[in-house]
Amino acid sequence: MTWRRCATVLLLLMPGLGLIVSLIGMVVYVAIAQSFGLYNLNGDSVFTVAHWAEMLDRKLYTRAVTYSIYIGVWSAILAVAFAYPLAIWLRKPFRGSIIIGAILKAPLLVQGLVAAFLFINVISYHGIFNQLMQAIGLWDEPRRLQNDRGAIGVLFLQTWKNMPFALLLLTGAVQAIPDDVLDAARDMGAGTFARFRKIIAPLSLSAMQAALVIIFIGAVADFSFQVIAGPTNRQSLAQLMVFVRQTSWHEAAVVGVTLMVIALAGSLLLAIAARLILKGPFSR
Amino acid sequence: MKTLLTSVTAFALSAGIAWADSPATDMSNMSWDDIVAQAQDEGQVTWYVWYFQDRFRPVVEAFEAEYGIDVIIPEGTGQGNSDKMLAEKGRETGDIDVLAWGLNDFDTIDVTALFQPLNMLPEDDGRVGELLGVDGKGHVLAYWGNQTGIAYDPAHVAQVDLPQTVEDIAAFWGEHPGKFGFNYEKGGSGPSFFQNIIRASTGIDLMDGEVSDERLAVAEAGFDVFTAQADDYVVTASNVDSITRLSDGELWMVPAWEDHLAGLQNSGEVRADIKFYIPEFGMYGGANGVAVPMNAPHPAAAAVFINWLTSADTQTLFNQTFGTAPMHAKADDSAALVSNAQRANQTPWGNQPFRGALEKAFIEQVILER
Repeated sequence: MTWRRCATVLLLLMPGLGLIVSLIGMVVYVAIAQSFGLYNLNGDSVFTVAHWAEMLDRKLYTRAVTYSIYIGVWSAILAVAFAYPLAIWLRKPFRGSIIIGAILKAPLLVQGLVAAFLFINVISYHGIFNQLMQAIGLWDEPRRLQNDRGAIGVLFLQTWKNMPFALLLLTGAVQAIPDDVLDAARDMGAGTFARFRKIIAPLSLSAMQAALVIIFIGAVADFSFQVIAGPTNRQSLAQLMVFVRQTSWHEAAVVGVTLMVIALAGSLLLAIAARLILKGPFSR
Repeated sequence: MKTLLTSVTAFALSAGIAWADSPATDMSNMSWDDIVAQAQDEGQVTWYVWYFQDRFRPVVEAFEAEYGIDVIIPEGTGQGNSDKMLAEKGRETGDIDVLAWGLNDFDTIDVTALFQPLNMLPEDDGRVGELLGVDGKGHVLAYWGNQTGIAYDPAHVAQVDLPQTVEDIAAFWGEHPGKFGFNYEKGGSGPSFFQNIIRASTGIDLMDGEVSDERLAVAEAGFDVFTAQADDYVVTASNVDSITRLSDGELWMVPAWEDHLAGLQNSGEVRADIKFYIPEFGMYGGANGVAVPMNAPHPAAAAVFINWLTSADTQTLFNQTFGTAPMHAKADDSAALVSNAQRANQTPWGNQPFRGALEKAFIEQVILER
């Protein structure tokens, strides 16, 4: 390839790749630099690892890391787990399948904050759910369900919000599997679960990986669900970043960089794990 | 070529307008009438205030009608507005004409370097530029008195039974588990509560901002009050969450801001029968202030607006509309939620950096251990 052709290719790539590299690159660079004491907004910039040491020493930080990973991993797994049966059910069109598909994707249109407030209204102390449970006689008095310590509320919201996205990706992949392949497997005695494990899941692996990774990245950085419906005895990384920014931009940058590293490493691990489980040594 | 010329001309014109709009005007030698005239030429003032934006907009219409100057109140958070002010301090002309911020927050930065002196305002001894140990140094004036205390549901807690001491609070938690809630983030009422409980139970001087292991160890002894009865109180998500759950009947007592509660009651968003008091062990009180950044685009209009905002008449109006404690000596304070006698229980905000270190330790040792 001549230098002229190289230059042409680079120029053609510039509008897309250049924008990504320059804009995202600048943000990442500033975040990393700030986490080491540079770009100080309130005083002198001095290179130091003190902000990392300070945050690594705080229980608030380590809890936020494990909590965000917990939310990210389980949100991705639950959303995909709920989406798969629906994608298989909707694989072949039937009367009403388009309407059902549209209804299932409705949560995509609801903004996260709105969903969180609606959820809180439903499960609040005197909310509809508590009233229902008392009306049917299962509970004698209202129960405090808001901001539960196990973050079940946040996982419910994440799954509810992300399942349609996983469904969107998986439906296309599952529909692309030829009937002949599934019929052949059935003829050879494969049951429902065996057909899913050995045919459908491996053939839709790319879509599953994409769903897992994208949902994980969004959920690990969750802010809106956490601050409204999450437990009050721990913080997500995004929440912690906003919280510590009140006193130190540098410590907030440490949290931000941590978030980016976890998103990147976690995505890779999830994608690799899914591949190993479905196509690797664990698939037999 | 025609497009290029048009673009260059447009850029030059906009740069010219921006230059003409630059704030490098020294008003210290101007008469007040000249300042008002210049303010009317400027035509608008942008007030960055982080709360009640929708309620301030109708209130400032009186100013707009009196001076013919438009007041623009953008949406934004307190942190976002102050970050913006700091981020654009190097710009020749910024976007902020008047910045509202907690008076004790102004105390964390060099106000003389970032904000214009307010010596251009007409003489008025009634204005408040220094409050509870926080000095605006002639660059910041208080416009909004605020007070933290405890909001309670009179349907469940009688006035005579209101907890007044640390022991009373602990007894209330024991007798009514799960009926007292407070926040540790997203609002200062909860932090005011737990810090004053710690101060009252240990005797630590929160006005001393020095951080040392010895002082933290003294303060941490006060954490026992919270750890011993961790299951008897609720940690809420924010100031708003506390008040919402009180109004809903789930909680009976929550720390709150006097002005916040009064504002929500006036707008019908919270039950009107909810009451408020300042316990005898004391809770933080203070004020929000306003200042004009050095690079304010409309400095004269900003000065005229601050003059109006901190006047006795406007402070009386705020008291009647929002229930705030007036920040002018000659204003009427009859519409406040608490009596002047109770205001004696007001304590000044603890000084930084010790207050921050105390909050950090409280979160690590109390909140995360629940």
